[in-house]
Amino acid sequence: MDHNQIIDKYVPKNTKPEISGNIITYKIYSNNISRVVYKLYHTDKLPLKTIAATDERKENESFKIFYVFGVPGENIFLVPYLLLYNEEKFPSLAGAVHETAEYERKIKSFFGLTPTGHLNPRPIILHENWPDNLFPLRKDFNWQERPETANTPYNFQKIEGEGIYEIPVGPVHAGIIEPGHFRFSMAGEEIVLLEPKLGYTHKGSEKLFEILPLNEKVRLSERISGDSSFSHSLAFCQAIESLNETEVPEISEYLRVIYSELERLANHFGDIGAIMLDTGFNFGGSHGARMREIVMQWNERLTGSRFLRGVNVIGGVTKDIPPQLKDELLQEMIRLRQDFTEVIEIAEESSSLLNRLERTGILEPQVAGDHGVVGIVARSIGLKVDARINYPYAAYDKFPFDIATEKDGDVYARFHVRVKEVYTSIKIIQEALKMKPVRSVLVATKEISLKKNCYAIGITEGWRGEIVYFAATDSDGNISRVDVRDPSFLNWMVIGHAAKDYNIVPDFPLINKSFNLSYSGFDV
Amino acid sequence: MKLIIICIIQLILVPALSPFFVGIVRKVKARLQNRRGASVFQPYSDIWKLLHKDEVISEDASWIFRYTPYILFSITIIVGASIPLFVTTFTNYFTSDFLVVVYLLALGTFFLALAGLDVGNAFGGFGSSREMTVSALTEAGLVFSILVLALTAHTTNLFSIASHIESLTLHSHAQYVSICLAFIGFIIALLAETGRFPFDNPSTHLELTMIHEAMILEYSGKRLALIEWASANKLLIFISLGSNLFLPWGIANSIDSADIIFSLVLFLLKVTCFCVAIAALESSIAKVRYFRIPDLLLTSFILSVIAIILVI
Repeated sequence: MDHNQIIDKYVPKNTKPEISGNIITYKIYSNNISRVVYKLYHTDKLPLKTIAATDERKENESFKIFYVFGVPGENIFLVPYLLLYNEEKFPSLAGAVHETAEYERKIKSFFGLTPTGHLNPRPIILHENWPDNLFPLRKDFNWQERPETANTPYNFQKIEGEGIYEIPVGPVHAGIIEPGHFRFSMAGEEIVLLEPKLGYTHKGSEKLFEILPLNEKVRLSERISGDSSFSHSLAFCQAIESLNETEVPEISEYLRVIYSELERLANHFGDIGAIMLDTGFNFGGSHGARMREIVMQWNERLTGSRFLRGVNVIGGVTKDIPPQLKDELLQEMIRLRQDFTEVIEIAEESSSLLNRLERTGILEPQVAGDHGVVGIVARSIGLKVDARINYPYAAYDKFPFDIATEKDGDVYARFHVRVKEVYTSIKIIQEALKMKPVRSVLVATKEISLKKNCYAIGITEGWRGEIVYFAATDSDGNISRVDVRDPSFLNWMVIGHAAKDYNIVPDFPLINKSFNLSYSGFDV
Repeated sequence: MKLIIICIIQLILVPALSPFFVGIVRKVKARLQNRRGASVFQPYSDIWKLLHKDEVISEDASWIFRYTPYILFSITIIVGASIPLFVTTFTNYFTSDFLVVVYLLALGTFFLALAGLDVGNAFGGFGSSREMTVSALTEAGLVFSILVLALTAHTTNLFSIASHIESLTLHSHAQYVSICLAFIGFIIALLAETGRFPFDNPSTHLELTMIHEAMILEYSGKRLALIEWASANKLLIFISLGSNLFLPWGIANSIDSADIIFSLVLFLLKVTCFCVAIAALESSIAKVRYFRIPDLLLTSFILSVIAIILVI
């Protein structure tokens, strides 16, 4: 389908759709938005990618709220938006489309726009010591001034009853992990309620995106979630390349695929090992760590950075893979594949390990669907979502593969989705290395002059799941807003559901590890 | 003179060697996991380091929290001196009765559980709750498995039991079967009591999964050193019981120098074998789900009961 067919099919007739790159924007009035979004989500079954607000009071005295929907298989995004002229309220859609609830909370916290009718308007990310009348993503917010420390109480959900007690865990944990607070309400060892409270690594990244010079914006995107540096910066670069109408050289498209898959491989090896380690299956734990390290060292050899930082630039990548390294890497992939197969065979024969993984932390498909989970978590309940296939970017359209899915939604399913994806990644890396053109210009030479008053979406499949960047430019062609949607933003919302009922506290670390979500990516 | 030396060795053997064997378990585990691992003497350095560190004690801590490490450590010293290690000649000890030994150790666990609750930390609370659940269930298997030996030897004195089992001849097949069953029951109880796989993971950093470690999270400095040392002692005590009650062959029955040296070497060998076995176990299986711990402990109890029926 081309743009016009899509407009005919999905966009209401009385609107004026504007096409820019791969997105179609059209204005909707607030009395209609609920109906439009409901239709796109429930009737047309299009996935909601993100909801982003912009402050355009300087240009046209209004705030805008963008509801980004993807059209799977087409790499086109439908973006109905609300224009709030002299208004600081917008209708909450959480009743019609549940997953909008958390986006609306975020817009409330960062823009001070009130979602009317929202059932849980508690602030998100900014809490307790942040003044509740200060909205950092508004343009008139003075980011260089330290706000006064507020002291608003944070209301945890409460469960009361005989024998129910609470365990507060974190934000500082015993291992080397990111900070986050978990509040367990327990009956004996059984978890009745689990509420995560995050925001401890909030760095004001989205504000910084408005301030830093363009090159540093790319570096900033690498630091949104450290273990997904490459996928994050790739999503950001793609958004900017679309605003600049840059054609990325073919060789860089292949290199982007190779580096993305190396990142996925390293993290999957690490996670597969860590899941086994958390059950106390030390054999698997140490081999996972070893194989991750092999890939990390390859990253360093190829690019000079273990986390593939500084590789993506607008218009391409900075590092090629020379022929002799290419052959070595191909050999390494064969060795890794063999190694990995042996380790997994031993692991799958261990009944004590399987006993811990199976039927632990089951995520109900209904809950998952309502919250719009993405990535490994979604695939572990059988949802075929993978941005590499749904919205092919870089050179992914040359490497068709079956999306790895499982159906049980337990820790074992999430473990096994990773196992399958490791094989896919190795295969893609091997093919991409062979198909990659030899020696040519890596970075497009087109000068940067972004389209004015325009919007763009960059989407990649990070190893956790889909990473979505929404970028907007002002009337001078400068970037005025970047919205980051890490997969963790959606997936954090279901971890409490997966961990309660029938699950006991000693199993929570394992359930948490099988999700392995990013705190930094959520807190931005 | 020789007797005095033997007495001194008997007294200090457990506390002197226990960190070494913890080091061996860790080293073997590391080697089995493709790691180099720290030196086997690292636990000594750890204890030495902790003994020289300042402590932080919660304002809410009562005397229970303050004195538990001393109680725990003293108990392991007393028990360590009253069990058969390399000679069986100390049959007149009052503390060598197996019930006294088992319940002295239980007293230590009791105080540790109280200390876990004392400071009001949520982790300490559930650590204590789990520890009490596990030790209540372990107690039956532990007592009954040693009771099999007591019934075989017609005495509850551990030294006498060791020398009696050693002198058993191969004619008493039924007794061997029952001792083997009791031994399996005892090993399961040993792993549970010392906080080892598949019950507890001594090297985890995940607070929510801890049992023993959760209770001692609030300790630091000297008191932590004593608790760590006491845990190491407890491990060696249980391994010694296992090797000298169930496999006592080679233990010296007199204070003849050659016998004693031979017996000491054999003792060290046996303990090392136990440590290697524990390390191999910890490297090859996953921890069981907490709610399945009772199944395993019940197995230990049932095996011991069958063994008792065979003996009677």
